[in-house]
Amino acid sequence: MKVSLNWLKRYVDIEESAAVLAHDLTMFGLNVESVETKGPDFSGVVWGKVLTCNRHPAADRLSVCTVDAGRDKPLHIVCGAPNVRAGLSVAVAEIGAVLAGGFKIKKAKLRGEVSEGMICSETELGIGDDASGIIELDFTLTPGESLDGRLGHSDILLDIEITPNRPDLLCHFGIAREIAALYNRELRFPELLKLERGEDFSIRIENGNDCPRYSAAFIDQVEIKPSPEWMQELLLAVGLKPISNIVDITNFVLMETGQPLHAFDRDRLSQDSILVRRARPDEKIVTLDGTERQLNDNVLLITDGERPQGVAGVMGGQESEINPGTKRILLESATFGPRAIRRSRQCLKMDTEASYRFEREADIGVTVEALERACWLIKETGAGQPSLHYADNLMDNSALETRRIELRVAQANRIMGTQLAADDLVELLDRLGLESREAGETVVTAVPTFRRDLKEEIDLIEETSRVYGYENIGREEERKNSLFASISVADRRNEDICFYLASRGYTEVITSSFMDPQDITRFEWSRRDPRGNPVKLENPLTISQSVMRTSLLPGMLKVIGRHPVPDREGMRIFEMAKVFLRIDDSQGLPEEQLHLCGIFTGKTAPLNWAQKQRSFDFFDMKGEMEALFRKLNNYSDIEFVRQKEREPDHICSILINNEKFAECGMIPSRIAGRYEIDLPVFYYIIFMDLFPVQGFSPTRFSYISPYPGVKRDLCVISSDRITFSDIRTVIKKSSKHLEFIRLFDYYRGDHLGEGKRSYTFRLGFRSPENTLDDKVVDGIIDRILDNLQKKLQVSLRTE
Amino acid sequence: MQSEGIDSSKLEEIEKTATSKINTAPDNESLEEVRIGFLGRKGILTLALRSIGKLPPAQRPAIGNQINAIKQRINTLIEFRKNEIADGGGDEEPYPGDPSLPGRSCWEGGPHVLHKVLREIKAIFYGMGYSLAEGPEVELDYYNFEALNFPPEHPSRDTQDTFYVNRDILLRTQTSPVQVRYMEKHKPPLRIISPGRVYRNETPDPSHAAEFLQMEGLYVDKNVSLADLRNDVTYFVHALFGSNARVRFRPHFFPFTEPSAEVDMTCFACKGEGCPICQKTGWIEIMGAGMVHPNVFKYAGYAPDSVTGFAFGMGIDRIAMLKYGIDDIRRLLNNDIRFLSQFWNGPVSEVQD
Repeated sequence: MKVSLNWLKRYVDIEESAAVLAHDLTMFGLNVESVETKGPDFSGVVWGKVLTCNRHPAADRLSVCTVDAGRDKPLHIVCGAPNVRAGLSVAVAEIGAVLAGGFKIKKAKLRGEVSEGMICSETELGIGDDASGIIELDFTLTPGESLDGRLGHSDILLDIEITPNRPDLLCHFGIAREIAALYNRELRFPELLKLERGEDFSIRIENGNDCPRYSAAFIDQVEIKPSPEWMQELLLAVGLKPISNIVDITNFVLMETGQPLHAFDRDRLSQDSILVRRARPDEKIVTLDGTERQLNDNVLLITDGERPQGVAGVMGGQESEINPGTKRILLESATFGPRAIRRSRQCLKMDTEASYRFEREADIGVTVEALERACWLIKETGAGQPSLHYADNLMDNSALETRRIELRVAQANRIMGTQLAADDLVELLDRLGLESREAGETVVTAVPTFRRDLKEEIDLIEETSRVYGYENIGREEERKNSLFASISVADRRNEDICFYLASRGYTEVITSSFMDPQDITRFEWSRRDPRGNPVKLENPLTISQSVMRTSLLPGMLKVIGRHPVPDREGMRIFEMAKVFLRIDDSQGLPEEQLHLCGIFTGKTAPLNWAQKQRSFDFFDMKGEMEALFRKLNNYSDIEFVRQKEREPDHICSILINNEKFAECGMIPSRIAGRYEIDLPVFYYIIFMDLFPVQGFSPTRFSYISPYPGVKRDLCVISSDRITFSDIRTVIKKSSKHLEFIRLFDYYRGDHLGEGKRSYTFRLGFRSPENTLDDKVVDGIIDRILDNLQKKLQVSLRTE
Repeated sequence: MQSEGIDSSKLEEIEKTATSKINTAPDNESLEEVRIGFLGRKGILTLALRSIGKLPPAQRPAIGNQINAIKQRINTLIEFRKNEIADGGGDEEPYPGDPSLPGRSCWEGGPHVLHKVLREIKAIFYGMGYSLAEGPEVELDYYNFEALNFPPEHPSRDTQDTFYVNRDILLRTQTSPVQVRYMEKHKPPLRIISPGRVYRNETPDPSHAAEFLQMEGLYVDKNVSLADLRNDVTYFVHALFGSNARVRFRPHFFPFTEPSAEVDMTCFACKGEGCPICQKTGWIEIMGAGMVHPNVFKYAGYAPDSVTGFAFGMGIDRIAMLKYGIDDIRRLLNNDIRFLSQFWNGPVSEVQD
């Protein structure tokens, strides 16, 4: 909320500069988001004192002065004013300052004398017409202090962030009350015209939750004219356009006390009464902004018993609007229920100063005082003749009762970490206008109606902490508790995997959790596929971000698609993140699965003189996965199985003990094409949640043989019905001394014969007990060939 | 080759030939052939050594020494080459003569800047005794708002624009729901951090994103105070931004903490002098914090008077932006590799002192 410094000064003395005030308020919990100077701009204009003043050696009319403007040494300034003399307090425009009319102060030489600034007159500062001489300031500041806000008809606006729990701060008086507490200063209350209850006027309220209180005052002999200049100035400063005396006074009281008022032209009411009720579905109203609005029973209305005259707490109606001919006025000062106003506002999509305050729970205790304030202003400015009686319908008398809260001194100190005495706490609370007294080990506080946010002890502790000052709370004792961290093994494993992949040359990306429903079509996921049935948002930002992702793939393909084709020479990217599948739990929440997705396209390595560049293929990807599975400590028992026989592209499921732990393959080109990718793209997705954090089998030390190993190469021919995996299994089972199998040649050329393949391995053998001699190894090889022949009809290649 | 008339330059010739043959030997067999050819019983150098007697006596020791040195060097080279062959490489000359040629290279990658920063932040809190806790991103309204003391239909909910799945289920707007979920399952004392993705229904601009990373902290014990909160937060800021960073607590409002504060640190750009980045205040807001509201304890099933606690929450994106001077939060989820690659290299911790 924007508040005017001039306005605040009506209720509390403020000597501090705007910058100091802004800082202090911020540290008091009223975050000042900006400080804005209204009126002439004096940045770079500072208070200074003329130290010496001598005649210019080359010009009769000029003086050469030295001026203390807070710098290391006095400024040397040439001045042409007749009234300049030593000892004068002056406004000094320093070099770089911009004065009225955009005149910029520069370092200059006047008839041979250097001038490092200018001593200003009223016209030069744009605050008056007196150009005959420089301004002689009649106040004292520190030399060098800015004159911002201290000269001319200027004001300073503080934009203060008001948190939703503090409706009492949505007005100047409320903020002044905080300033008074902050600096422990006296608060000046606005003048009131004392009114008595008892005007004979019917105010009916349908529902006390919608409208707990409705008070009204009555003014006759109204004379509509402009409001006084001082009021217009203040209203303009906070961004309200002056309209007429009556309207301006209601706005002024709103901005002063926070209580919204509304003035009805009493002669235009069809009945001389007020009925607060919900609208009927067929009703309409034209509001003050000239818009006709269709109503329904969510909207709370002010009616005259018959016709709607205003949307309660939001905006008045045009029918009874104040106009130049208005003679009699009904002035409304009511309290409406926050929920009722919220519904009305949402229904009609209107946001007003009034609705904003009612939604945050306006002070029910202030309605009559606000009327008394308005009546005083009306009387003082000659806008009309207020009746000395008001009408009031308060639905529940207990609403005005003062709330009593007990604050335990020990608890306050415990929370704050301080050692304050009861009377210290009383003093802190008193400063906020919270009347408090000591009662043994506690402090009892009477909370006035304007602080309905204070409900229990902890609320008071917050207030005492705030007034005491967070910055004054220190720490002398040792830490009382000892509690040690346990690090999440799963989280660390996942983090390790991410950094491992990053070291292997992958770029980690973070893509959006949202997915485009179109992605489901692009990937051809059916409704029965959990990926085709996403969690939908009721209120998405855009349609293309309207569901939660069920797979990381669309987002990853978009990352590639977003890069211009020339930048896709070699892309290896990965993301480990959650997908959301509609396998709802007992609370209706979807299953969040952690997936790791890797994507590859383009070349395996950058262009380099010393290595051949080639395109990334399926086995590059498989190698990446194997490395990753070794890292996850479960390489040995993994099977790669073709997912769909009919699928032309290589899409595999990765099985561990017959359970699917991952999938990989080449994105079908028709799908890649939908993401504007025309190169082969390989991917894998690993279901991280399925991997035991400790790996499938614990890592244990095993004995290292001190004896040398033996290597043998072997070339065999098999039919294409046999897979490499079958052959490897047979070889592994044939010898306990086998250390490794390396397939280093694979061939399926024509001259081998129809359906034939040849494999060349290097096998390594090593014994833990001795050096293997040739005869033993020959025996092993014979056994391997024998087993291959018997079990798989795989034979030694002889040619 | 005849060993007749052997001399120093001839020996150099022999060594050159041997070196070249060894370095280009494709496998152990051919290497063995080379060895026999030079060092074997009838090898060139063996014969050369035997023919020394034919030389004038004065030349014999020098030539003898030279032959022995060459034999030794060839032996070393052969061993070296054997290893190379075993490694399967060595088809090219090991040193082609110009050290300024570029090295063989592979694609480079690295962690996402947000995860780099998050890992660092986590490490600091682990060191302070915080454990990790996690919660769902698609969350019940109850945990995101109600149990955090946001009354239904209360305006304080408006400060966090929310994506809804239905009336009861939403995308969490903060990591704070993890507080209640964790407290429901654990008895005090407890001290946790909880990083994760959160969502706000806001049109993205340079400082707002609809999805971002946040991290929550919570410490509950018998006598946790505001002073403890200041202590921990100050330590954290010093650990992440260097001990010259100053920290201040400003009173603020959050429904789930009371007293509440916003925490500022001295602007990294101007060191507190005031500049456009900190809007001339010299301070930059980095987190919200406060003492856990007794109502939150009630929702979690704790007797409010039995414990006290503090909580804090910070935007990881914001911290990363501050740390690296990133101008627009949207860059963080845009995944432009030219952007991401700026943060791959350099030390993990870059404390500015």
